[in-house]
Amino acid sequence: MTHAFIPVPILGHWNMVKLSRRLATGADVEVEEVVTTRTTTETKRPWNVVVWDDPVTPMSVVVVIFKKIFGYSNNKSTHLMLTVHHEGRAVVWSGERERAEGYCVKVQVAGLQCTVEEAA
Amino acid sequence: MAPRIFIRRRDGRIEVRLNDAGRTVVRDAVRRVVAAENDVNDEWHATLNGPIDPSRDQDDPLLTLARQHDVSSNAELALMTVDEPFLNDGEAWAWLSTLQVALRATAYSHGLVNHERVGAADAGVRGEIEMLQLLLFAIADVV
Repeated sequence: MTHAFIPVPILGHWNMVKLSRRLATGADVEVEEVVTTRTTTETKRPWNVVVWDDPVTPMSVVVVIFKKIFGYSNNKSTHLMLTVHHEGRAVVWSGERERAEGYCVKVQVAGLQCTVEEAA
Repeated sequence: MAPRIFIRRRDGRIEVRLNDAGRTVVRDAVRRVVAAENDVNDEWHATLNGPIDPSRDQDDPLLTLARQHDVSSNAELALMTVDEPFLNDGEAWAWLSTLQVALRATAYSHGLVNHERVGAADAGVRGEIEMLQLLLFAIADVV
């Protein structure tokens, strides 16, 4: 009886894993997936809530509306009201677009002329 | 000294000292706001529905809907409480908001978009505007 020498490869752990995968999935070719994650930080410009002057609204009403909707102090509300009165418009709040639009709706519901715009 | 129309009492309620004529002015104004909000052909409708974001061709329908809902809610609350002798803070805010909406709509529907035009307006229209302004001055004192 002849004992032929058959070389038996010694499989390392990693080779065994790869072989098991091939057997289990029947795949001839292993595909390695490389996932690259890239994070981009974008600076967004704020949105302004703009209140416009009108010829009939009493000044004290404008002050009350600013205090009630934005929670501003009497001094800040009065200052903003005077800016509207003298300059025809005033930016009364700046920030995220959705919040700006929400505030704009509240100001309009209170009867003032108001719009939103992206800050320059 | 002019009599005070709205008085903040110690218990927090706001007393309304309006006579029948005064309450009729408030009732007519808030009824008109409710009607205008629901009728696209009403001359006040355009004032109540100004653009939110002029940079877009069309405003966000959800925002527009929210505004219509809030305007109508305030006006209906004001209408429900128009004969009440006392108002709480929420009701007083509904009165102020609705009267202010009515004031601007009255002015704009008559083309009174600047001080010169207001000064030159018909006496009847000016009287309407001054009446609403008087009520707003009075209620802004106690809100």
